[in-house]
Amino acid sequence: MAEVWRDVRALLPAAQPEFPLVFSEAVEASVLALLELSREQLYRASDPRAETAQAIVDYAWEKLNTGTWRDVDKEWRRVYSYGCLFKVVGMCNGDASQAKIQAAISTCDMGLLMGASIMDNVLQRLVAVLKNKVKMQLPSKAEDQPCPKKLKRNVTPELQIDAAVSVPRVKCPALESFRSDFLVPQKPVILEGIIEHWPAFREHMWSIDYLRVVAGCRTVPVELGSRYTDEEWSQKLLTVNEFIDRYIMDEAAAGLGYLAQHQLFDQVPELKEDIRIPDYCCLGEGDEDDITINAWFGPGGTVSPLHQDPQQNFLAQVVGKKYIRLYSLEQTENLYPYQSQLLHNTSQVDVENPDVVQFPNFMKASYQECVLQPGEVLFIPKQHWHYVRSLQLSFSVSFWWS
Amino acid sequence: MNWFGFGFNGFGQIVPRRKGEKDEDTAKVLSPVALGSLCSSCEGKTRFDPKKQTETSEHTIKVVASWSQRAAVYRDGDPHVCMSGFISGPDEEHTGLAPESKGCVDALISERYLTLSFADRVECWSLKPTGNALVWSGVNGVQDTSDTGPIATLPLVPGGYIASKPPFYRPLSPELHAVSLALGSEHAVLLTSSGTVYSWGSGSHGQLGHGSLVSEDEPQVLEALWGVPMKYVAAGGWHSACISAGGDLYVWGWNESGQIGLPSKGLKDQSQRAPSTEKGELVVNKREDNVFISIQAFPALVDVPEVSEISKVSCGSRHTASITSSGNLYTWGWGHYGQLGHGSKCSSDEPKVVEYFSNGGMTVEDVVCGLWNTFVCATPRKRSPL
Repeated sequence: MAEVWRDVRALLPAAQPEFPLVFSEAVEASVLALLELSREQLYRASDPRAETAQAIVDYAWEKLNTGTWRDVDKEWRRVYSYGCLFKVVGMCNGDASQAKIQAAISTCDMGLLMGASIMDNVLQRLVAVLKNKVKMQLPSKAEDQPCPKKLKRNVTPELQIDAAVSVPRVKCPALESFRSDFLVPQKPVILEGIIEHWPAFREHMWSIDYLRVVAGCRTVPVELGSRYTDEEWSQKLLTVNEFIDRYIMDEAAAGLGYLAQHQLFDQVPELKEDIRIPDYCCLGEGDEDDITINAWFGPGGTVSPLHQDPQQNFLAQVVGKKYIRLYSLEQTENLYPYQSQLLHNTSQVDVENPDVVQFPNFMKASYQECVLQPGEVLFIPKQHWHYVRSLQLSFSVSFWWS
Repeated sequence: MNWFGFGFNGFGQIVPRRKGEKDEDTAKVLSPVALGSLCSSCEGKTRFDPKKQTETSEHTIKVVASWSQRAAVYRDGDPHVCMSGFISGPDEEHTGLAPESKGCVDALISERYLTLSFADRVECWSLKPTGNALVWSGVNGVQDTSDTGPIATLPLVPGGYIASKPPFYRPLSPELHAVSLALGSEHAVLLTSSGTVYSWGSGSHGQLGHGSLVSEDEPQVLEALWGVPMKYVAAGGWHSACISAGGDLYVWGWNESGQIGLPSKGLKDQSQRAPSTEKGELVVNKREDNVFISIQAFPALVDVPEVSEISKVSCGSRHTASITSSGNLYTWGWGHYGQLGHGSKCSSDEPKVVEYFSNGGMTVEDVVCGLWNTFVCATPRKRSPL
């Protein structure tokens, strides 16, 4: 597999002088020395090695875990990415087995997830090259094929939504009428017919197989446990294939896994091609680049506890159905938010099974609800409380905008 | 010389690395090796002066370490500090005397600064490629004359302590009666003359031991240890340790690599990943599933098997080393760089004896963890009279 090495090498500057390593004072001279050593090993004809790079990755990782995430000097995210880059190049040297290529892609993903963009997004470009070297492992036997019946397990009896509290629906409203009728008064609404042109519904119809093809080998953060407020809840890094195998295809899955609130579309540009930013976002004051696009992918039964977000939200449903309950900001006093700084935007109440003794006023709170169907977009106004439960295998895309 | 080292040697801070050597060969020292040349400039004196071979001389050398360097502090005769490892100068010299250290009695080292304590003053030097620069100095030795003990050990100085980054001098209330202080990467653990433990700084990973993840600006007493007098404290990257007067070891904080000595999920996941790539079946013991500890926010008593008393403890970035009263060394936590000294790169979430010393007929007297390595002072075990 010498071609792997050749293709990887082609993404890097041709000679050492064209490969600058410039960091601020925040990065100590000893670390810079290791970075320079790694670079030298890369260009020394002999063989680059992963050990020096691993020390860079380990040291930067400790820096990234020191202090709060937002206070960590951005330079350490760059150092982390360079460490990942050198490590990947070392891995692709010589006889690069399939396992090594997968490990190299995972290393790129760690750099993309925790590091900062370096050298014109070289880690993303490396993944594009490495992905083509991975032999696809699509299930070949018929019984392994994701049959629709299997994926629709967990379907609860059709939920009866009381018409009196159901979220209104409009079909392709004009920008101005959406603004005056819903955005300005901050009223939730389901928009119909505004995303059906997405490639995700047409030429690249999103399915388990399609996700395996475009993103199967990519490492993503997965939430384990039924809801993030639970004691037992945790996060884990898995490849998309592992996540599908363990938490979606496996009937006897040990617990719930949810690929939630992850900026998958920045990580996997092919998937971003399949979606479009809703035109209505232009009614906001922010730039298009400021819109945060998150993926929410998981089996039936995943729950996002009742919480609020600081931005306007378009929740676009692509695959499967979700039950959603909405409470306006005025209801906050009846919703018993947690006291802690970390969870003050989250209600303590289990919406579908409330403890009315502990939270007596919760029953007084007025709400709206809906079952969001594929092709529909729910407008959740800023700070509107929302509770979400997937009714079956589901893939949603959220757009946070201001 | 009876100092040994093991673990991260990426800068030659344990044993010099020869040019052109393969990375893997010397970047990690998996089993203890004797620190042959603590100081090249005074090598002759220390090695050949017969008087220095006496037992007391071993206690006059102290080793401290940062990530990329190790410093040996010579405290008698001609006091000074010798540094090994990353030297940010243009030459390739790996070992050298720090000229500004002549006459010092104690030293501390971090990735950026060298702190030197003299009889009359304390100095902080910035370690720079262009030559070390004095960045702070203060008066030392304002000791209570009734106290006949030695000058307080760094980082404690009269009235306060020296931090590893500016502002260097930080005052401490005299009412604390501090006798020793351990600095972690972002937190501090203090021992008072009455055996009470205080902690402050970042609490993000439970390293303060107050039962929460909240940070504290001011020293807070460790209520969980109230009434149990302590005699020793240590602090690491995100964890802390202390030893009671009776020799019990307590550890708290992040258990990411098993450094607390409690079952670590991270280690279990790692050990599972290896067989799974070979299509081996995962065996998940459901019974054990709930006992993993990620963060231990209260002090936990660590059970070192078959050991009744602990005399010293030191914390690295993500590993822990302790000495028993019988002179054995136990290590646990992150082992990727060989910092556990077990001859492998394996991490361990339970204390394991370092056989190099116990089988080699040596008594371990002191242990100092660097971030990713460990330094140990050991002497040949005396024959018991029977």
